[in-house]
Amino acid sequence: MNILLRLQELFSPLGHLASYILAYIFESLFLVIFVTISLIVMIYVFRKYMARIQQRIGPNRVGKFGLLQLIADALKLVGKENILPKNRDDLPYKLAPAIVFVSLVLAFTILPYGDFFYLGSFTVTHSEVTIVLLFGIIAIMPIGEVLAGVSSANKYALLGALRAVAKDVSFEIPMMLSVLAIVMMASARTPSSLSLESILSSEFLPYGILEPIGLFVFFISMVARASYTPFDLGESDSELVSGHSTEYSGMRFGMFYMGMFGSIFLGSLIVSILYLGGPSGPVESSLGFIWLIIKAAILVLISFTVWLSMPRIRIDKFINFGWKYLIPIAMINLILAGIITLGWGL
Amino acid sequence: MPSSEWVELNFGPQHPSMHGVLRLKAKLDGEIVKEIEPVIGYLHRNAEKICEMTYFNDNLIYFDRMDYVGAMNMEVGYLEAAEKLLDISISERVKWIRVIMAELSRIAAHLVWAGAYGLDLGMLTPFFHCFIEREKLLTIFTEVSGSRQEVNYMCVGGVYQDITEKAIAEIEDFVREFPKRLKDIFNMLMKNDIFLSRTKGIGILDKETAISYGVTGPMLRASGVEYDVRKAEPYLVYDQVNFDIPVSYKGDNLARVLVRFEEMRQSLKIVEQAIKKIPDGPYFNPKAKKSLMIRMRGEGDVYARTESSKGEFGVYIVGDGGVKPYRVRVRSPTLRNLSVLPELAKDVMIADMIAISGTLDLVFGEIDR
Repeated sequence: MNILLRLQELFSPLGHLASYILAYIFESLFLVIFVTISLIVMIYVFRKYMARIQQRIGPNRVGKFGLLQLIADALKLVGKENILPKNRDDLPYKLAPAIVFVSLVLAFTILPYGDFFYLGSFTVTHSEVTIVLLFGIIAIMPIGEVLAGVSSANKYALLGALRAVAKDVSFEIPMMLSVLAIVMMASARTPSSLSLESILSSEFLPYGILEPIGLFVFFISMVARASYTPFDLGESDSELVSGHSTEYSGMRFGMFYMGMFGSIFLGSLIVSILYLGGPSGPVESSLGFIWLIIKAAILVLISFTVWLSMPRIRIDKFINFGWKYLIPIAMINLILAGIITLGWGL
Repeated sequence: MPSSEWVELNFGPQHPSMHGVLRLKAKLDGEIVKEIEPVIGYLHRNAEKICEMTYFNDNLIYFDRMDYVGAMNMEVGYLEAAEKLLDISISERVKWIRVIMAELSRIAAHLVWAGAYGLDLGMLTPFFHCFIEREKLLTIFTEVSGSRQEVNYMCVGGVYQDITEKAIAEIEDFVREFPKRLKDIFNMLMKNDIFLSRTKGIGILDKETAISYGVTGPMLRASGVEYDVRKAEPYLVYDQVNFDIPVSYKGDNLARVLVRFEEMRQSLKIVEQAIKKIPDGPYFNPKAKKSLMIRMRGEGDVYARTESSKGEFGVYIVGDGGVKPYRVRVRSPTLRNLSVLPELAKDVMIADMIAISGTLDLVFGEIDR
């Protein structure tokens, strides 16, 4: 049921190279369409859900049930004038939104979506170290935020960038520690424990059940990564105007906006792949992709609820929280994982 | 870091968390606010001077636009002074109507504050819940006066029109339903650890400082001074209703939040009693009606103080025997409350500065006038 292999077979009369190139192009298209559609659906659901929580109606004017509102908004953003600050550092200023958005889309190429959307043989996903690759790409995203803050010659933006750096330093270590626990546990059952796919194929129970503490730490880290309230410190809406994206307008702002929603979706996908069994579900089928999406959608809704019901945490309290609570908890989780792995090995 | 290396940063006059047009010149050492200087005057509309050029009754509309979120409190404040100067009495019914309206306005003003305070701390949801409740109050105001926010409902000698049966029914509905909704909003804020960590022990205003700066209203009561003009010098019929003054002795952000929430409950208690006690009678003093506007002359000077939603609201009117006041002067409670901000927001983090300035409940129509 693999679409891309079928495509490649379809194009095979054109020759080996041409068929691969065409399949690559279609794969990229698939990915871009997948990311775009999921973002559009997500933002629409977010706005309706937010309206529901806040006892409002939400978008209902453009199209049936306001379904076309997002398209109208996107058109508006594209059509807007790009206002450029005078004293900007030009290259980083223009590069920053692209870094955020491109690294986001790139991260989606690495995830295992199950057989239906199996991209393995086409991309670097085939590599044995996809976890390293994935978190490497995730670590690129904050660079965009920092560049945006530093290059836009604005004090609010600079403060936002400094906050973003402080935040990233505090949550990335516990995040990696809890991933390490999974790699450790997987290593007892598979030789290639750094590959997302072999982690998935070798697990007999979702890791969320084996190590709920890790799930907890990792989910919080993903909330911080996607930077919405309570951890939207880089943006800090009411304090720093808009933080690092203060000076951005038009589609460049849109990229930051989509980057945030994309991060939520990406975070939910990663959590459901690492901890909730990914594409496997109660009913085994080649359409494991749907299970993955369902799990991610539930996590996304949980994220939205957190977003809409929390005030912003103060930056020093977040750093405290990261270093004094999350890291020790992640360490304990690591020890527990080690014990489980040893027991497993015996 | 030496003070020469502090970064100067302007918050406002256009800034998402500056209510209205406050500008705060802050000197920052990294995330720490070292010094802060509020700059006001961006909404100066010359209301006091204009009051010298219009008739006594017409001045009310400028008072509506001072504390625009709790407009009826401003009207009560002005009429307390104007009616004393013009020597026009009002009937018992009018007094009760004014008490009801002033208290409903107080609830509306506190609801706006509660919603905006959630926004200050980055919380979107309570804002809408507060505004939905406020909308019900605005419906009541529309029913009695025909206008939502700047109502211009009262006038010298009474009120513009009698309170209708429908309005009374609406108020009764509101009184019945509001406590539950208020509890929801209260829990939304108070059962949140992050909210508590942002408010508890932050921006402590001690009793002495509060008194020396002339701070009044909920802010003063949150610092442990039991002073409320409604109890200290009862006007209208506040001596005939049973209510408590909420006082807290902590003086921090949380205390100010709690005091305001309790005030809403007490206001509701007053409205509940007033609805039952409201007597029959004329809604307008015929003496004022006969000599409407241009024939009302006042001589001498009067000062009247009332408790608005922000604090002690004083109006000083001098009359020279003409049809227009010679001089009108307003004691704005919010201006005094704002003046204590540099004291409170010293050596705190930026986030705390925003959290503190949120609890001052600033309304710029009243500060700049």
